[in-house]
Amino acid sequence: MNALIFGGLAIISLFIFFNLGKMKASSKQLNRNNRINRFGTQQNTNNIIEGESKEIVDEDKD
Amino acid sequence: MSKHSALNTFGRSGNPAFTKNFGGSAYDLPLNQRMTLDGAVNKTGILLCLCFAGAFIGWNIPALLMPAWIIGMILGFVTIFRSPSKAGSTAPLYALSQGIFLGGITLFFEAQFPGIGIQAIGLTFGILASLLFCYKSGLIKPTENFKLMIFSATMGIALLYFISIIMSLFGGGGIPLIHSNGLFGIGFSVFVVSIAALNLVLDFDYIEEGAEKGMPKYMEWYGAFSLMVTLVWLYLEILRLLAKLRSR
Repeated sequence: MNALIFGGLAIISLFIFFNLGKMKASSKQLNRNNRINRFGTQQNTNNIIEGESKEIVDEDKD
Repeated sequence: MSKHSALNTFGRSGNPAFTKNFGGSAYDLPLNQRMTLDGAVNKTGILLCLCFAGAFIGWNIPALLMPAWIIGMILGFVTIFRSPSKAGSTAPLYALSQGIFLGGITLFFEAQFPGIGIQAIGLTFGILASLLFCYKSGLIKPTENFKLMIFSATMGIALLYFISIIMSLFGGGGIPLIHSNGLFGIGFSVFVVSIAALNLVLDFDYIEEGAEKGMPKYMEWYGAFSLMVTLVWLYLEILRLLAKLRSR
């Protein structure tokens, strides 16, 4: 009985792993600002507000 | 740049296998040379098969336990610190040798507590599947703070085990209480199992991010190897916890 229950649990879990593992994570997981950025290659563009940035010209500096 | 100085000093992952800087920019590789989720999961499957094959050998020839453990440790360190890009050749050997070690050690536990091996296997894969579901659905969200916490706890446990081994080598019997079957010993084992299990979340996130950012193909083997390292640790800790519970 012990072998049946835990063996069954192992087989079902492996089946879940091999199917679920190949699926992309939910957008709730992927689209958030506090994600770990290990490879540091993607720039976070969330801080740029479209239409509100202004080019600085030399006259403004003075 | 991270806000945490500890992260900058010790690396950016809880799992030592993930602290290497792999260089190379993402998105500049052809599609067939990029890491994918499918590839990483399939390679984990290959490593699991090799681990089970090794366990069969270790179960039948328990004398191989110690040599296999030493070879597995060496291969693990070589993969992490010397050649992550060669994980395709070292990871299968690591899985095979660790399988032999796990098969041998499970035989010894089985002799004392019949049926403990299958319980530990069921619980290990049960935890793997449930945490994968929690990660994919977004129930558990790994952040820099989460990673720092898991990394600190993992390093703390490693240090404690190292001191315990040194103490037992000099006849001290290791650190008292943590190996006992009392409440403290069981509580400690539950804590270690929890930390090992949460390392799985970091492994999933690493593989997901690597595939998302199109890292090189060999990272599939490296991701699968890292998952194996955590699974081997988790299995051993569950085995110890069950042994403590059943010896009461």
